[in-house]
Amino acid sequence: MPKCIIDGKELEFKPGEMVIQVADRNGIDIPRFCYHPALAVVAQCRMCAVEVEKMPKIQTACSLPAGDGMIVHTNSDKVKKTRASVMEFTLINHPLDCPICDEAGECTLQDYSFAHGAPDSRYEEHRRTFIDLDMGPVIKKNMNRCIHCTRCIRFCDEVGGFREMVALKRGNSTEITTVDGKPLETEYAGNLADICPTGSLTLVDFRFKKRAWYLAKTKSVCEGCAQGCNIDVNSENGVVFRHLPRENMEINKWWICDEGRFSFKYVNAEARVTEPTVRTADKKLDFTDWKSAVAEAKAKATGKVLVLIGSDLTLEEIRAIQAFAKDKLKDAALFHFGTPGHLKASDDKAEDKILRRTSKTSNLHGAEKLGLKGWDGQGKYDSALVFRGGRAMMLTDLRKNVGGAIIGVGVFETAAIDSYEVVLPGLSYTEKSGTIVNWQGKEQKLNKAIEPVGQSRSVADVFALWS
Amino acid sequence: MLVNNKKGFLNKFYLFEILTGLKITMRNMLFAKNVTIQYPEERRTYSDRYRGLHYIKSVNGVENCTACMLCPTVCPAECIHIVAGERPDKEKYPVKFEIDILRCCYCGFCEEACPKDAIKLSNIYEMAVSYRDKGVYDKEALLVQRGTK
Ligand code: SF4
Ligand code: SF4
Ligand code: SF4
Ligand code: SF4
Ligand code: FES
Repeated sequence: MPKCIIDGKELEFKPGEMVIQVADRNGIDIPRFCYHPALAVVAQCRMCAVEVEKMPKIQTACSLPAGDGMIVHTNSDKVKKTRASVMEFTLINHPLDCPICDEAGECTLQDYSFAHGAPDSRYEEHRRTFIDLDMGPVIKKNMNRCIHCTRCIRFCDEVGGFREMVALKRGNSTEITTVDGKPLETEYAGNLADICPTGSLTLVDFRFKKRAWYLAKTKSVCEGCAQGCNIDVNSENGVVFRHLPRENMEINKWWICDEGRFSFKYVNAEARVTEPTVRTADKKLDFTDWKSAVAEAKAKATGKVLVLIGSDLTLEEIRAIQAFAKDKLKDAALFHFGTPGHLKASDDKAEDKILRRTSKTSNLHGAEKLGLKGWDGQGKYDSALVFRGGRAMMLTDLRKNVGGAIIGVGVFETAAIDSYEVVLPGLSYTEKSGTIVNWQGKEQKLNKAIEPVGQSRSVADVFALWS
Repeated sequence: MLVNNKKGFLNKFYLFEILTGLKITMRNMLFAKNVTIQYPEERRTYSDRYRGLHYIKSVNGVENCTACMLCPTVCPAECIHIVAGERPDKEKYPVKFEIDILRCCYCGFCEEACPKDAIKLSNIYEMAVSYRDKGVYDKEALLVQRGTK
């Protein structure tokens, strides 16, 4: 393999690789704005300047193919001077309104300005100002902060699949916008906020909710569909604030879809049942304590029991439910449920060419692996036990199959439990650890990000109280 | 180690020391100026740098604060609680701004961290409250201008 030398380290590379890729792979940090490994190289920010021996001028590492025997310096005086000038130029029009910018704390421009820029500005002219046009419900634009790296435009072109964003005018008046100012249509718009190196594009949903540095990041997996995209759950004090994609080249690369990004909403929602709830004699729902609620559930789960298991539960939970049903509920029939029309794993198809799958629960393939069949709405039963994470469809029409009590264990919404006798609040994907299987058969780990909301308890705890 | 350096018999009564002490007492009692003052009628003047009760500076009736959260970030006592919001005349402003002055240690870091010249520590040092919840100052109370800093 050919070798080049970066900062005195002899590094191997595949022919055709750019210097910045070789450096990235070996942990050498070259600052960059416009380069993103997923996107075409445009070399227009000039921040990745490096000095190459025997080349008279500074080169941009993102567009310079590594050559055999090439000697690259990423931190020479000449490079530092170039970076400082690039920084100054980039900041000419930048408002530096970090105090009100949601990007602050995770902003590439802020970090590089601190590391490579000057503490003051020589610029005394008028700074350009834009009136912001709407970009749809997901993304909030603030054009004043833009540095024209065009990552967003390339994302829409190359990843999103169609050209939705353009750069209007040129030079100082360049404005990045959607075509004709229309709202963004892509289902992956949230990623624009992640790849934008400044606070020009930020999430409407997360706007002013929390400063980035307060958020604890827990490695987890999205439960939005059977793709199983890797995410970081961002939370503080038991409240989930957002999902950020986590790089996994085999599954989701750098992206997640908007549906998955905002799928955490129910976790801290007002409408979630978080206390053990029992229907009283006058048909009203009433909060009670765990012991009596479980006793009530136990007394009512009689006869031929239908056990419905959400395919949004983890393998561990499903196994526990299977063991419990075998042990405690004689004559029980077990099924999984999740997305309408998805009885078998093979019903799960790709929904688009990027990530999304048609199974809107994360563990359909795992549930099938554990021998469960899909619930087809047939048969008559005396009572039912419904185990649900937060994502499987709500089962509100079980009455036609079940004569007696319907008991819910897991995450339920107050509005959807009219036909239920007992609801035992369970854990959402952010409150537990476990394993789920995606459509490729890959097992991935969920990690607990927050403490259970309210009095919610795990399936294992419920079973411990049951006996 | 205990050293017995009292020499003679008389010295063992500490007579000389007692008299010296009495002399100091008498001098202070009869001739020295009082160090106490008749508070609250009389007041001391404090230096302008004195760090007392907070206020949020406002200009033309609009609070300077832009809810950047730098003061709660730097606050070692974690006693500042802010909720940010948006309104037509100001992109970002504090919807809720509370300081629990019972937890505050008056370090002044918040004033130092503020990029907007908004949070200030005034000269006011009378902060006794009769109930704990009165020690939590809300935005309305903080917007009272308590000084000229
Ligand atoms: S909006 Fe962001 S990503 Fe797009 S060009 Fe401007 S700085 Fe780059
Ligand atoms: S594609 Fe599926 S797994 Fe990935 S983020 Fe979207 S909903 Fe979540
Ligand atoms: S003076 Fe110190 S302890 Fe008090 S609010 Fe400010 S930063 Fe916190
Ligand atoms: S540091 Fe200043 S501007 Fe920022 S939140 Fe505190 S008082 Fe407001
Ligand atoms: S990262 Fe190389 S020019 Fe922008």
